[in-house]
Amino acid sequence: MIAAAFVSEGGKLSGWCANSVITPDNLCFIAETCRGILSANRAEQRPAQTGVVAFGNRTLVFREGEAGLFLAYLDSPTNDAVLKWLFNQVNPLLEAEGVKLD
Amino acid sequence: MLHQALILTSHREYAQAMRQGLLKLGHEKTRIDVELDAARAMQLAPQQYELILLDTVLDTMDGLQLLQLIKQQSPASKFIIVSDSADETSRAVAYQNGADFFLERPRTPEAFALALEAIRGLFKPNVAGEPLQKEGDSPVVNIRDIVQMRCLSGDSVLLLVRSQFQSGDIFIFRGEIFHAQYPGKSGEVALQDMLRWNGGLVRIRAIKLTNIPPRTIEVPYRQLLATAEKPDAEGPDMLATGGELFVVSNEPAPDTAALSVVREAPPREDSAPAFFPKPIVLAGGETPLPQVNSHWKVSLSGDLMEGSQVSEPDRCAFITSFIYRKLADVAVALEVDYFSHVTLLGPHLQQVLVADNMGVRHAVFDTVWTTEDLRVQYVKWCCEQSF
Repeated sequence: MIAAAFVSEGGKLSGWCANSVITPDNLCFIAETCRGILSANRAEQRPAQTGVVAFGNRTLVFREGEAGLFLAYLDSPTNDAVLKWLFNQVNPLLEAEGVKLD
Repeated sequence: MLHQALILTSHREYAQAMRQGLLKLGHEKTRIDVELDAARAMQLAPQQYELILLDTVLDTMDGLQLLQLIKQQSPASKFIIVSDSADETSRAVAYQNGADFFLERPRTPEAFALALEAIRGLFKPNVAGEPLQKEGDSPVVNIRDIVQMRCLSGDSVLLLVRSQFQSGDIFIFRGEIFHAQYPGKSGEVALQDMLRWNGGLVRIRAIKLTNIPPRTIEVPYRQLLATAEKPDAEGPDMLATGGELFVVSNEPAPDTAALSVVREAPPREDSAPAFFPKPIVLAGGETPLPQVNSHWKVSLSGDLMEGSQVSEPDRCAFITSFIYRKLADVAVALEVDYFSHVTLLGPHLQQVLVADNMGVRHAVFDTVWTTEDLRVQYVKWCCEQSF
């Protein structure tokens, strides 16, 4: 994993970790952009909760919940099994902080 | 070619020098008027001029306000605002008030020559028979001239470049080329390719630079443009055909029919990662299109190219373009190339978008019956359509 972040509904970066290349500002910007994409899809009657974007061999995964948006930037391709594993790891951590994604 | 222009300035010497320069861009009947008094200039009919150069600061009037007034009277004229200092505020106001270009006043013969060369680019005729021009579209221009002009005037601008078959972005920040990208390539390599698209004649739309991308191009713009002008720059021979580049090495050039088949370059990632489920393959080797609710393809300029079961074409084209543009911004922030494919998972529907060098394919699946295999099959099918 290269970076991960949780951005609350108000656009506040509640928690993040990243290598030195990705700044917190960039993470916020990316999260807002992903939120915009999900919002546009809702407006088109095609609501989506999770997005997986393949940039070559890297993957941006994002999932929106009521409290905000979680995103992870991975240094590998993903498939459904990887996603399931990822959220099995992430969900308990977020739930411990009172955030529910699903 | 320039037929009639007006120079509105309070700098007499500059006016004469610019007049002489502009006359060289025209023909024997070209008329270049010089007006040193803004109040008198307002009595002129601006519609008669194709080009109006005016200073930001005039003796009796604010040039930027005057620009707004004249632009309303003559929206078809091209306006160049000339400023003694390339400050961001003046530049922003100039564009807001309708300027086509913001030019820092040239002070040296070299700067003068470059400014004139860039102005020449505004009046270059389209290539005869060029099918690119469509009513309502931005005009076909020389990409090198536009980049040079923007850099020369110290602009911060995003140039959306569109050739017949490709589109990409050039980010100019404070007069230097910061970043360039198009699907599959970014940085200096992307810029050099784009400068050669369609023999340098492309459509360009300039929009305000809302965020500064990470710098991927360190070489000064003059050096970059000079390199691009060399016909036999390093590397293999390149044959520009219809906006595309085909590397032909030392082999004979392929015939046109063959080129039309391979015109659409493969996406960056043309094979699924090894651990993906193996998609269904037909006996002939092709992957069949999986069952989808609907699917469509949108060009990189946002036009719907084809589709099936598309109920609202405009809305479909819009949402695909919207997602593509948004993720292009994300790619810039992450310092990576454009995305190859995207999956959006929802409770009722799943969507897959696959980008290639000509556009974005977009499919909608029912979540109930969609498996990962089907989504992978769609990505593979899209990749095969690109060849």
